Amino acid sequence: MLGDIVLQCGQVLTVMFLAPLLHGFITTVEERVQRGKGPSIFQPYRDLWKLFNKSLLVPESATWVFFWAPVVAFTAMLIVPMLIPVLTNFPLPLSDMGDILGGGLILTLGSFFILLAGLDTGQPFGGLGSSRAVMLGILAEPTLILVFVGITFLDHSMLPFVANHLLAKNPVAYWSPAHIFLILAFFILLTVETDRLPIHSTIPYEIYMIDEARILEYSGPLLALLKWASWMKQFIFYTIFLNVFLFPWGLSTTGSFPSVLLALLIILAKYGVIGLLMVGVDTMQSRLRFYRYQEPLALSFLFAVLAIVADQL
Amino acid sequence: MLIFHLGPLATSLFSLLAILALVLSFVMLASHWLKNHVYAFAAESWTIAAISASIGYYGHYPELYIIAALTALFRGTFLPYLVLRLVKRLDIQREFTPLLKPSSSMIIGAALVIFSYEVSRQLGVALHLTDNIAVLALTCMFSLKLIGFLMMILRSEAISHILGLLVIENGIFLGSQILVPGMPALLELVIIFDLLTIVMAFGMLVRFLQTHAGTTSSRGLQKLVG
Repeated sequence: MLGDIVLQCGQVLTVMFLAPLLHGFITTVEERVQRGKGPSIFQPYRDLWKLFNKSLLVPESATWVFFWAPVVAFTAMLIVPMLIPVLTNFPLPLSDMGDILGGGLILTLGSFFILLAGLDTGQPFGGLGSSRAVMLGILAEPTLILVFVGITFLDHSMLPFVANHLLAKNPVAYWSPAHIFLILAFFILLTVETDRLPIHSTIPYEIYMIDEARILEYSGPLLALLKWASWMKQFIFYTIFLNVFLFPWGLSTTGSFPSVLLALLIILAKYGVIGLLMVGVDTMQSRLRFYRYQEPLALSFLFAVLAIVADQL
Repeated sequence: MLIFHLGPLATSLFSLLAILALVLSFVMLASHWLKNHVYAFAAESWTIAAISASIGYYGHYPELYIIAALTALFRGTFLPYLVLRLVKRLDIQREFTPLLKPSSSMIIGAALVIFSYEVSRQLGVALHLTDNIAVLALTCMFSLKLIGFLMMILRSEAISHILGLLVIENGIFLGSQILVPGMPALLELVIIFDLLTIVMAFGMLVRFLQTHAGTTSSRGLQKLVG
């Protein structure tokens, strides 16, 4: 029992402390691929340290939302790792607190508060970013829900652990068209939700910004919290994509210390591979026009619908 | 219908191939570049050839190998080559006049897939089809047909109309391969040569239109000329 509680904390800490590393890794490799030198892969940790040691500036027009949004966003990202398989493939004490849809709702709550914060100060770029983010949300959220519905049809359960077990043990389910389409649909969602091209620009110009525009007003520790939360969100989406959809193997089955260490090593390897894939996407894709944002998302929606149709058969 | 039974892995394989053909038709629906349409059509034909061959393998119909080879050769290579040549001659790179944006047409396509699934489910109940793969084949067949019709409705270039027709034809062929695999080989040969004739006739028609009317878009051909 005590071991389980330690493991549960371990899951949250893993997400907390490996998320900046993943971000740093992707940034560095991307620079290297594009013939640059790139920062060290530990740069995000240094950024966090620097930002936490800076003083906090609050705009005069800010209300309580401005202060609370980063806290809520960060807390939401701390709750989700309890619900999904990060290190172990069996449920831990608090894992039945919410199902896969519950996790999705908490993730959305975090984004929702950042959205409010963007609108709160009345600064023009914040409103711009918020409205763009809402438009993306309108297009992406239904698909995300459909993907969750699809995986629920596949394993007849709303818990991510059940999906993990079914896909790891049953090759017929793993190679079924329904599952393959779910992977494709979720991959497109992954590029959208983790700020990758073809929708999110990697260049920090205000005209292209979506998510960064919402947090332009922040500074110091609050900015650090927001950045950390967005990296954790990326890590959580990778976790769901890998441990629930694409690669359900390599997690600790017993919960013993060596197996958890092994799982950690495997996490480093497989997240790195997906990171490399994302670098490829970022390097090869060009950014879409605003009015063509719905195209990749319509494709993702289509894959989800096809998966559900294939599930019925 | 479907006189032999399949193992779980073979069922997965068949569903995968059938749905792959469906996805390729969506590639045609969503892309504006005529070249992509032709390539997607070629890939779809190769997928159908793979279905024929694997049905021949699992159901022990040796003549289906020949059909598969002919499908790959004619539908997968020769027809796309002819259409590509036509595209080059006409010097149109992309479809400029679709009625809807790609994303909207994809959503309509998804709705059509759901509709055809519902129809084939009802048919399956009415005909007592016990195998899911039969229902899947029916779904893919109906969806490919409807998507072909949708392509013809939404686009006005003559080339797009040929491609829509070919997609419809592919759908029928896919369904017939899975549902009635023992069809006489002669019939299949007739279908293949039929298609060749259709594409050639269309090609001539298109070039006639190009020289005499100056356009191949059906929206530019609404006036009567005496």
